[in-house]
Amino acid sequence: MTIDRIGTAGLVASLFLIAVLGVFIAQNSFPAFLYAPSDERLVSVTQSIGTAESNFMWTYRSTDLIAQAFVLFVAAAGCLAILRIEENKKSEAG
Amino acid sequence: MIPLSYYLTFAFTLFIIGFYCLVTKRNMIRLILGIELMVNAANFSFIVFSSYWHAGFIDPLAHSFVIISTALVGSVTAVALTIVVYAYRHYGTLDVRKLKRLRG
Amino acid sequence: MFPLPLEILFIFVVTTPFVGWLLAKKNRQSLCGIYAASGLLISGIALYGLFSQVLDGNVVSDQQTSFAAGFRIDMLGVFMATIFIGLGLLVAVYSIKYMENDTGTMLFYTLLTAMIGGMVGVAFAGDLFTLYVFWELMSISSYVLVAFRKTEWEPIEAGMKYLIMSAAGSATLFLGMSFLYGITGTLNFQSLASALATAGQNAWLSMSFLLILIGFGVKASIVPLHTWLPDAHSAAPTPISAMLSGVVIETGLYALARTFFSAFASFQVQWSLVLAVLSIVTMTLGNITALLQKDIKRLLAYSSIAQVGYMLVGLAVGTQLGLTGTTLHILNHALMKGTAFLCAGAIIYRTGTRQLDDMAGAGRKMPLTAILFGISLFALTGMPPLNGFVSELTLFTSAVEANMAWLGIAIILNSILSAAYYLQVIRVLAKPASSEKLEKIKETPIIMLLPICIMAILIILLGIYPDPVLDLARRAAQSLLSMGG
Repeated sequence: MTIDRIGTAGLVASLFLIAVLGVFIAQNSFPAFLYAPSDERLVSVTQSIGTAESNFMWTYRSTDLIAQAFVLFVAAAGCLAILRIEENKKSEAG
Repeated sequence: MIPLSYYLTFAFTLFIIGFYCLVTKRNMIRLILGIELMVNAANFSFIVFSSYWHAGFIDPLAHSFVIISTALVGSVTAVALTIVVYAYRHYGTLDVRKLKRLRG
Repeated sequence: MFPLPLEILFIFVVTTPFVGWLLAKKNRQSLCGIYAASGLLISGIALYGLFSQVLDGNVVSDQQTSFAAGFRIDMLGVFMATIFIGLGLLVAVYSIKYMENDTGTMLFYTLLTAMIGGMVGVAFAGDLFTLYVFWELMSISSYVLVAFRKTEWEPIEAGMKYLIMSAAGSATLFLGMSFLYGITGTLNFQSLASALATAGQNAWLSMSFLLILIGFGVKASIVPLHTWLPDAHSAAPTPISAMLSGVVIETGLYALARTFFSAFASFQVQWSLVLAVLSIVTMTLGNITALLQKDIKRLLAYSSIAQVGYMLVGLAVGTQLGLTGTTLHILNHALMKGTAFLCAGAIIYRTGTRQLDDMAGAGRKMPLTAILFGISLFALTGMPPLNGFVSELTLFTSAVEANMAWLGIAIILNSILSAAYYLQVIRVLAKPASSEKLEKIKETPIIMLLPICIMAILIILLGIYPDPVLDLARRAAQSLLSMGG
């Protein structure tokens, strides 16, 4: 019955955490953008958001996009490394 | 507009549901889904904040964070599923509670 | 468009599989390591050019506005990047011989270079989200490298546990970042520092602090989030264990320091107490559990947890001297733990076992390796003419100066406690050879001995004459503290 114990303990802990966080949110109002330095970049909802957003991403966040391309490449190389075929030619040492 | 605290409660609830999945479920694939749930809670929180700055405007910075983070989580899931394939070959089961040969 | 060392590393990440495919036609795939090592060497030379630019406290930054993604290279970033590329180069040379019997070595070197590229990107990042993207690059390549020898069950189980815990930590980190964004509207380090400089203690800022501490703390192996570390470090191939213990953990500490001293600098008095308690718990648990280990790689992994506790003391103190001690201890720990793991790997390569009882007396047959192992273990204890003593003395002095003398006393007591298990390893190795299967082992191959010798010489040199690196560490700490405003 160990499995049931972990399940119910997890359920009780999760409900308790949700209650505590609900109380926390109710008591402390979120200081949304209280310390914001500037708001010149906001886009109105009535424009064509797709074009405006992709312009923003390519102009200002291009470093993140290229780094994300490298992450995809490394994930593909990693999956290939784990799924490689082993030919048993010699015994491995250590 | 709906007050911000409702959205924040929903984001936290989603995060804790993901955490509950991670702690209690036995199937390894459900653990990976739990991790995705947790990251989706954070994505949701970013999008909520991006539309709460001024009414009728959105912030494209937060949207670009979410777009890039979705691709990153996809890569982590791919690697995780590959390791699960090999774990199934070694242990014969998808039960994560059986992976307890390493102790101490 | 990236800084030059990072571009060179990424070029080598993309071209190493191609070189490996060419070499595979001639059945010499492990020579890929020479290609990867030369890439790391060229990147290190390019890093030296950056180094001379930031030496006087200037910051090289290519961010035009406060919401643009870019790099912000200051002295601390260059210091950390030097450690990463240096240890990576020595590990790449070491693993040419160690991984020669494995298949798929071209992907091993690709992933190793990608991991180092991700770490250098974390060190150079000027924006919290850019740091997160490079953090994921480093994490994904380290998940695969831990589970590299997939035909045995142990790396797969350790890799699964590591992946689950580390990905959950990343998710928690991302949630914390979203609250920080919600309060300020930006994730740029410079803008965060100037916007939140007068914020004081706010409930939501504390919640964001807690989530970011959990997120980075999983990777930096702060207790109680350390349980993945012993399994992952002992199941990974030994060069990767040296990299994980030596630099990947310290990347977590660097990211923690960078975020806390820029965004949360306004309520430092409160969180320094939290970090002080965590550091004492981490040190003590790491040292006590290491006393019970019989597997040499697990013992060294638990001692890494204890060393992270020492580094946290410097962050908890938060003055310039404390941060100098932490930065210097990061460099010293990379050298000492790298040497220890690589020597242990050489002994494992020759004897084929990881248990301490089975390698009794191996030191008599491999004398040079045993001497170098002994040097690194004495340095880890903190003995005077070696470099561990300098950084621990700096941490102790900074704790006493900041009226936290109980932290300094904890460091000294833990050093004495750790001497018990380090000296036990030396005693086991120096026993007379007792079993027959140890009769035929020879000395370590030269190509594996060369990186160990270089690091051991640096350990002795930095212990006798620490002034140049102490000055560099002081400048690095000053550049971290001067980020506000």
